Amino acid sequence: MQVKKSDIKRQAILETAYRLFRTQGFDKTSMAEITAQVGGSKATVYSHFPSKEELFVECMMAALENYMAGTLRHLDSSRTEPRIALLNFGGSVLNFICSPEQLEVRRLIIAEAARSGTGKLFFDKITALRAQLSAFLAACMASGSLRRADPELAAEQLGAMLEAEMLEPLLLQVREGSPDERETARAARRAVDAFLRAYAPSSPHALRRELATH
Amino acid sequence: MKAKTEAKRLAILEAAGEVFREVGFERASMSDIRARIGGSKATLYNYFPSKEKLFFEVMHQAKTHELEEAAGSLNAEAEDLKQELLRFGQKFLTVLYSPEAIAVRHLAIAESRRSDSGKLSFEHAVVPVEKRVAEFLKKAIKRGQLRTADAKIVAIHLLSLLESELLQRVLLGVLDSVKPEVINGAVRRAVEVFLSGYQRR
Repeated sequence: MQVKKSDIKRQAILETAYRLFRTQGFDKTSMAEITAQVGGSKATVYSHFPSKEELFVECMMAALENYMAGTLRHLDSSRTEPRIALLNFGGSVLNFICSPEQLEVRRLIIAEAARSGTGKLFFDKITALRAQLSAFLAACMASGSLRRADPELAAEQLGAMLEAEMLEPLLLQVREGSPDERETARAARRAVDAFLRAYAPSSPHALRRELATH
Repeated sequence: MKAKTEAKRLAILEAAGEVFREVGFERASMSDIRARIGGSKATLYNYFPSKEKLFFEVMHQAKTHELEEAAGSLNAEAEDLKQELLRFGQKFLTVLYSPEAIAVRHLAIAESRRSDSGKLSFEHAVVPVEKRVAEFLKKAIKRGQLRTADAKIVAIHLLSLLESELLQRVLLGVLDSVKPEVINGAVRRAVEVFLSGYQRR
């Protein structure tokens, strides 16, 4: 596959912006400085990213979006049993978001989002990522492996439960060092099992079958 | 140096609270705070050795007490578990999503690399609440209202479900004031899904 020249440029802008925003913060980093370090003209930078706000959001979310594109393949209801799919997905997401670099990015996003007016842009991106989880849950509801409910709400609840055990102490620096894979797998299992019970199909027969497989 | 008094301590906390809310933690200085209450800088430092310490105290005084009160009000003798959880959830989120608590939480996360404010807020606001809620849930498990599970994890799941519709929106500033009816709906949906997940069948 041939990589387009403009894609290489775009990638270079994202990487430079990411480094500058992370070391200096949003306010102290200017489009002029990013341009100077990447090389080329300001017009080129603006042709890729119409504003500093959009560039900030894009470069902060790039790694997560990339990772999620790979890990969302776990969510294929036609090939894997829902519980297994959710466990693989949940553990994988937790491993990534609990990494030191991603925690640092999340702190920076939280510190800057409300002040810089980029909160809505971040929120839209996160919502788009979560939509793929909602779609999976909707498919499970349609096939009867979960009871019928609002799949978007269910996705938000599952996301919150997955993060519940570990994220806050890590974000607040109470805990140094990231959890290992055994620990994230355990947290994912507890969250997914509580979630599946909560959304188990209501017929007693289906419920028994669902619980028996656990 | 004069003996420390509680009245002076409270006056400092009040002035500091105003300054933090007005300019944020980072830009607030001990001099600004001293200017509001008068007296010398040495006196101020005698009461609070650092800005971090002062910040935490302000936060502790303003919100932690209310959060603990909400968690402490959970009555294990209550007949109706669902009603009790709804009542608690409402109280808990009303405190946690007040503008002051949101500001404090924002700061705790943003500042956690530079100071121990994150650690302090976790130890004084998060841990005691989780503990209280876990004690309550443990009794509900014993009484057979909830299925057998690690009460600490059950508490963490309950609290995260209560916040599930609000936390991201608030931290990103998409939602800057949370109306009571928004809280009501969020609590009802969270408690229902929590009970479906943990009620004994």
